[in-house]
Amino acid sequence: MRPSCRSFSWLSACLLGVAVSTAAWAQDPVASDDIGLFNPEAAAHAFPKRGFSPYANRNYPTRVYWGDQHVHTGWSADAGAFGATLGPEEALRFARGEQVTSSLGEPVKLSRPLDWVAVTDHSDGAGIIFEIRDGNPALMADPVLRGWHDLMAAGRGVEAASAMIAAQSNGTLPDAVKDPKLAMSIWQKNTAIMEKYNEPGRFTAFNGFEWTSNAGGGDNLHRNVIYRDGKDKADEVLPMTTFDSENPEDLWKWMNAWEEKTGGSLLAIPHNGNLSNGKMFALSTFEGDPLTREWAETRARWEPMYEITQIKGDGETHPSLSPSDEFANFEKWDQANLAGVPKEPGMLEHEYARLALAQGLKLEAELGVNPFKFGFVSGTDTHTGLTTAEEDNFFGKHTGVEPSPHRWEHDVIKTPQVNVKGWQMAAAGYTGVWATENTREAIWDALKRKEAYSTTGPRILVRFFGGWDFEPADAQTRMPAEAGYAKGVPMGGDLRAAPAGKSPGFLVAAMKDPMSGNLDRIQIIKAWVDQSGNLQEKVHDVAWSDRRKPGADGKLPPVGNTVDVANATWTNTIGTPELISVWKDPDFDPKLRAVYYARVIEIPTPRWTAYDQKRFGIKMADNVPMTVQERAYTSPIWYTP
Amino acid sequence: MTGRLIREPLVHFLCLACLIFAAHGLLGGRVEPEEAIVVTPAKIEQMASIFARTWQRPATADELKGLIDDYVKEEIYVREAMRLGIDKDDTVIRRRLRMKMEFLNDAQAEAMPATGADLTAYLAAHPDKFQEPPRVAFEQVYLDAQKRGAAAQADAAAILGSLKKDASFATSAGDPTLLPPSMPLTNRQGIAQLFGDDFAAAVVTLAPGHWQGPIGSGFGLHLVKVTGQEAGRVPALAEIRPQVEREWLNDRREAIARQKLDELLKRYKVTVAPFAPPAGAAQ
Repeated sequence: MRPSCRSFSWLSACLLGVAVSTAAWAQDPVASDDIGLFNPEAAAHAFPKRGFSPYANRNYPTRVYWGDQHVHTGWSADAGAFGATLGPEEALRFARGEQVTSSLGEPVKLSRPLDWVAVTDHSDGAGIIFEIRDGNPALMADPVLRGWHDLMAAGRGVEAASAMIAAQSNGTLPDAVKDPKLAMSIWQKNTAIMEKYNEPGRFTAFNGFEWTSNAGGGDNLHRNVIYRDGKDKADEVLPMTTFDSENPEDLWKWMNAWEEKTGGSLLAIPHNGNLSNGKMFALSTFEGDPLTREWAETRARWEPMYEITQIKGDGETHPSLSPSDEFANFEKWDQANLAGVPKEPGMLEHEYARLALAQGLKLEAELGVNPFKFGFVSGTDTHTGLTTAEEDNFFGKHTGVEPSPHRWEHDVIKTPQVNVKGWQMAAAGYTGVWATENTREAIWDALKRKEAYSTTGPRILVRFFGGWDFEPADAQTRMPAEAGYAKGVPMGGDLRAAPAGKSPGFLVAAMKDPMSGNLDRIQIIKAWVDQSGNLQEKVHDVAWSDRRKPGADGKLPPVGNTVDVANATWTNTIGTPELISVWKDPDFDPKLRAVYYARVIEIPTPRWTAYDQKRFGIKMADNVPMTVQERAYTSPIWYTP
Repeated sequence: MTGRLIREPLVHFLCLACLIFAAHGLLGGRVEPEEAIVVTPAKIEQMASIFARTWQRPATADELKGLIDDYVKEEIYVREAMRLGIDKDDTVIRRRLRMKMEFLNDAQAEAMPATGADLTAYLAAHPDKFQEPPRVAFEQVYLDAQKRGAAAQADAAAILGSLKKDASFATSAGDPTLLPPSMPLTNRQGIAQLFGDDFAAAVVTLAPGHWQGPIGSGFGLHLVKVTGQEAGRVPALAEIRPQVEREWLNDRREAIARQKLDELLKRYKVTVAPFAPPAGAAQ
């Protein structure tokens, strides 16, 4: 037993004791690096002896920065084909809170600005474009190019373009134009726009792209690549395309080569395992070989985060994988892959995040490294340039399903076997990041250490800490984060070597979005590998509203429903604005690997379909859901014996 | 089943393709003269160089051969496709061409950077765009109205009394909450992000320096002391030059796009058939 850490004057000494004996807070933002090495010097610096003011010297993240790491604009060839005309510039202005005009001419604005965004247009097809405008000296030596440039500078761009198009079709383009440096041009134009709107401290615009591998005909292995660095480094290398390779291992090689060349940092975020037909979390490599330790290390290194929810469905778990979880059947796209190839038995097991977390524990036992050690983010994956994740302001997956009386019945995927309809789009989601400031570096670092979480749209505030010494009183303070960081690790962290006789405790707190529904409950979901090597999961209700009593089956009764579908309104007369609790795992076995994450559920509110029905004065089919219980998923905390 | 097949667009497309190929075979049955595809040294160098820029190493001989074969294949298909005219109605190609034309407008906008006088004039003409809103700093004590029920207002009054006597009471008073006990200078929108609109609207009107309230929010009741106020202002150009430049350029970009389209429109006589909005369309 260690001394209790209640007194401030004892705090730093206690912290050192805890940390050295358990390395339990290896994920502290100041005191850790990515592989979880503990640095006592940094820790002592992080928690100096406390003075009178509880706020002085506080250097853990005290606020959440909201953003979307998955936005396509008209520059993505598919988005353009659907009619999106907004480019990255408009997408950024919109995310910053300005009013813009949608591709279909509708004025649109976010209810509140976002703090950051990553525009991730597809790298495929972002090809060569006219670069003469720059007056690049290397090009200006050519009299033809010089002439075109002068035309443009004189405001006669159309003439210049006509001359170029003629030269292109007649095969008389000057050789200088074929210089590979020009292949960079769209990318450089893109990074220049990001640079222009990136304002440290106010708004972060990440450099990024989507690598869109649809291996084998629509098996979704897509990844967003997010840069920590600015234009100078991003511009040094061409983004990877799937013309180069469809194999994620090659993407990781490319990322490695990029980091070695530039000294910068990248991470990749996969999405839509639900449309991968069993490939996203397959137990073999892309080529079908057995997984190796090296493969596991590489995946875990490059992919610290997984996009668990977005417009094309929620990827937490599936009713057939989690039959006792009454919240599992949520916004599911489970018929097919992205090209409409129907699902076969055995595929679902390798598509959903919860089971992958459990599978990762088992792989760690076999390979020595957990390849599926990821936290959770959201994205919209909008192809409209408009990052809209709120139910009452949903502009759809692409311009073909921007608001209209008929979008709910439009086909999104249609093959002879499979039909996904417009109403099945989910208005989701945003990522909350616990970062120390609003900069590329701070937000990227938080994503890398997994101190970030996913919501289906509302900006629900969630804290989640794990440790060995939490007590109920820690849920009664005005600053739960103080106890959280002092006695434990935040979301994304690791617990190791359980002290004898102790179970891990979790301090979890959630506050509603002031513009959205009250909270129904907080749940902690545990996944583990039992003694026989079987994957297990259990959902625990740990805090809830309205003084409900669990029934004989241990289940909490539903919170109720105040939604007036016809008027698309609800009242916050049920639920509660805030929930907080300390929960200890009652079934803990220190010999078994386990992983824990929190899920926060809102009371029912109108789904985007209800707003469409009301605003367009239409009536949708009876099977179209009209209410939704929005939710947040925290990044997990892992226990390793 | 057959009926559905007949209505299937893919079936139409395939039938059409068969017809085109059949016609092509019948009418053009003769052997056509060979058409040259020349892969120039410059093209090979370009492919090798793009490979090297992506992978950070030179392509091997096999990889280069693969790239060249693939280029030849693509060239053949592209030429055949254009010969058959299937590039004509392709939405992706059309949108791509349109995008490239729009890039030319941007290029023109960016070719002539703003002068200091341009920016000074722009800032003077658009102060709203750069206005920094007023900011307020405050401390707050929270009361959980749900938990306290009918007693909440009376409790608030009692705590307010204590706060007025002893301000240090603020650190321990009230109910636990994730809401911050104090906010640094923040604009109304920033306050609303955490506390909601109603609360933010009320706080920005409070006089500074003493505890008052309670003020309601979606969370419960709050006793508030405003500890700092800062009036809104329009910063000088020197402080916000990059932002002014960005906005100026954006306006210019849009103006040029409009102007170019107007110019191009003059070359066309556009005739549109009469149309009515489909039944059920929004007004």
